Amino acid sequence: MRHIGPSRVVALFAAAALAIVATAFSSSASTFKSTAKAAATSSLTISNESGTTWTCGFNPFNATVNSLSFGTIYEELTFVNVLKSGAATPWLASSYAWGNGNKTLTFAIRSGVKWSDGQPFSAKDVVFTFKLLKKYPALDLNAVWSVLSSVSQVGSNKVVFTFSTSAVPYFYYIADQTPIVPEHIWASIKNPVVYNDATPVGTGPYTMAKCSPEDIEYLKNAHYWQPGLPKIDEVYYPSFTSNEPANELLATGGAQWGSQFIPSIQNYYLSKSKNYHIWFPPVANVSIFINLTNPVLSQLPVREAMAYAVDRPKVSELGEYGYEPASNQTDIVEPTFTNWYDSSASKTYDGYTYDPAKAISILKKAGYKEKNGVFQTPKGPLSFTIDNIGGYSDWVASVSVIETELSAVGISITPDNLAANVFFANLYTGKYQLAYNSETGGPSPYYELRQLLYSKNSAPIGTAAATNWERYSNPKTDALIEQYGATTNPMTQKSIVDQLEQVMLSDVPVIPMTEEVDWYQYDTATIGGWATPADPFAQPAAYNIPDIGVMLLHLYPKS
Amino acid sequence: MRFILRRTGFFLFTMWAAVTVNFVIPRLMPGNPALAMIARYKGHINGQALKALELLFGVKAHVNIVSEYFTYLDNIIHGRFGTSYTFFPESVSHEVLQAIPWTLGLVGVTTILAFILGTLIGLVSAWRRGGLLDSMLPPIFVITSAFPYFWIALLCVWLFGIKLNWLPEFGGYAYQSTPGWQWSFISDVLVHSILPATTILVTSIGGWILTMRNNVISVLGEDYVRMARAKGLKPWTVMWGYAGRNAILPNLTGFAMSLGFVVSGAILVEFVFNYPGVGWMLLDAVSNEDYPLMQALFLLITLAVLTAVLLADIATALLDARTRDLA
Repeated sequence: MRHIGPSRVVALFAAAALAIVATAFSSSASTFKSTAKAAATSSLTISNESGTTWTCGFNPFNATVNSLSFGTIYEELTFVNVLKSGAATPWLASSYAWGNGNKTLTFAIRSGVKWSDGQPFSAKDVVFTFKLLKKYPALDLNAVWSVLSSVSQVGSNKVVFTFSTSAVPYFYYIADQTPIVPEHIWASIKNPVVYNDATPVGTGPYTMAKCSPEDIEYLKNAHYWQPGLPKIDEVYYPSFTSNEPANELLATGGAQWGSQFIPSIQNYYLSKSKNYHIWFPPVANVSIFINLTNPVLSQLPVREAMAYAVDRPKVSELGEYGYEPASNQTDIVEPTFTNWYDSSASKTYDGYTYDPAKAISILKKAGYKEKNGVFQTPKGPLSFTIDNIGGYSDWVASVSVIETELSAVGISITPDNLAANVFFANLYTGKYQLAYNSETGGPSPYYELRQLLYSKNSAPIGTAAATNWERYSNPKTDALIEQYGATTNPMTQKSIVDQLEQVMLSDVPVIPMTEEVDWYQYDTATIGGWATPADPFAQPAAYNIPDIGVMLLHLYPKS
Repeated sequence: MRFILRRTGFFLFTMWAAVTVNFVIPRLMPGNPALAMIARYKGHINGQALKALELLFGVKAHVNIVSEYFTYLDNIIHGRFGTSYTFFPESVSHEVLQAIPWTLGLVGVTTILAFILGTLIGLVSAWRRGGLLDSMLPPIFVITSAFPYFWIALLCVWLFGIKLNWLPEFGGYAYQSTPGWQWSFISDVLVHSILPATTILVTSIGGWILTMRNNVISVLGEDYVRMARAKGLKPWTVMWGYAGRNAILPNLTGFAMSLGFVVSGAILVEFVFNYPGVGWMLLDAVSNEDYPLMQALFLLITLAVLTAVLLADIATALLDARTRDLA
């Protein structure tokens, strides 16, 4: 009887393994590597790492997935361009007007628009959407009902919003940041808060054709209301659970539109093809938040000294690879909002440009004495912890530069790198001394300044505050902020922002360091019409909503 | 019979303890899921959304923890694991069931393969001590097992995926593929699993080889092996039936334990290769303070390990008469 010896068993096994692998390779020829498809129809692949696989839910009120449907499938009433200080483009509403001392806002709803299932779109759907937000506050992500008292239809095509308090800046949240959903579908949904919306019906340029946990495929909406658009037939949106594969897909040309943070971008991306471009428009500020209820930090000379002691361009270069421009103390983001910058006010403080000698002289003039390299004040030594999010490696690097520079003027800083949830729990409840974070901003500097300075946004120590984490409170500043909220006059708005800049300069409630940017990479080899610094028609990152829709409508295939 | 009853009783008690610890630990973490979501979307979610999000996730200020514990136990028994915060509004069981096949497939199959190959190589190396196989394979694999896993994984990603462009280095399948039972998809999955599977094999096989080899060497000195040889049985038969069968017993418990740990998903593997399994899902759940998902996954791991240990005990009892007599 012949035995199958051990060597033969191993040989048989190896042969079987090779056979399986060989057939797998041969039959899946070109598709086993995730690369761009060469197709007769034009297509675009987006590279934006979101950290999870897709759930194939498209509810536009669900903050985890709204970037997948708002802009592409669902649309807004009016498009507001942050990069052009709030320039408005009519969208689902053909026009709008303020009335009654800026207490009512009337939209004329566009006619001839259809939902992707063929039903006609009308003012009824707009009223329904906003009433839905009122009925289910969990959907009201921008808290529009904190300023509205009612919404109703007037005539066949007009919708009137009545405000309970002056809130002209909320136009952005109502007109641009609220997706309009169809009444004929959503009226019968029992609980829209947990509604998955797996087959979304919208007015937008794309429909959702296929979805798997790894990829979403959008196809152009043949009945879209803007004639001849969109020009790109298919859009692919793969999911990534970590940054590296997303960056790699961009570098190899598998994706044409990226919204990624890529370290050493020259080496890794730009050098790979002359068609690769980048642009990082700044939109808000990353700042050192100072807990103003802390007795030592409540002393103004301390804060002024800190503002002079840090070399912001150096923080930008070493911490952010130079991608994020240095901020200025007025909190005005340049070049996006340069028109608003009050340079004369800033000049009286030398723009708080890096001057360690001045910082030391301010501390000495306040009567503080240095002991063992750290200044002592009557309320305590200048020795603080600065909370930071450990997972954001660029912020960790920035803070270590700040630490070195502050210690050179006798202020000792200890970075405390925390897990994100712990960081935010501390920040929101005010359990910190210094913290490194950013606000979200909006289509004019007012939005960020209001988030920073409006005391009614804040909350006492121990209660969570959504913004104004430094607990700044000044009734004169509050009055200014409310005054802005009541006007649509650009001259009044500019003068109020100037005064708010003055608050930033004289009170130093936070110290802006670098400007937070939108991450944007694009490949011009096969597709044209991209947003550029010369033509900033929308915010260019794929996670900007609803700007993603505006960008996609601008793109066209190069033949 | 008594043996099985005792073991099952112990199993149930350990399960209860694990379930209770599972309840307590996520609640000791600071923050809440609403804050975790705002953190996750660095700057893209308006701060004013905080209240809306807290409503969404049912974050309550004051909770009666005792009643919550009993509700939790009741839900566990009925298999209701709730809605995930990360994958809102999908249910936890839906998401876990989606991810489990990938982990069981990749890590499960590779663990079994590593065990089988490792024991085979260990057995043959010990039998032909000093031979060509023995001088090459065990040392090589012990060295590769000593390397940190992530280092080998990243090296493979760079070399085979990026530099040589031979193999796909991320994902469970190419994102353009349509999931289904057609061969094009299955082959796509197989090809995507080559790199992760190879890295797991290469780093874990050394342990099996070494332990098996040592077991066999000690068994070779036993009387019954000498007796079998003296009887004139073929070397192959002695190696398989006498030496191998006895040497493998200690390894069985280790194998059962490692099978139990398969479900914890080899987080590093799935993170480096972007593999859509349970390990990466656990990492995500913890970063997002997704209590329901975390609890379900911890429970799954505990259940898997405890069951594996129970089965290993029973298997050892069945295969080794000596333990049966003592019980």
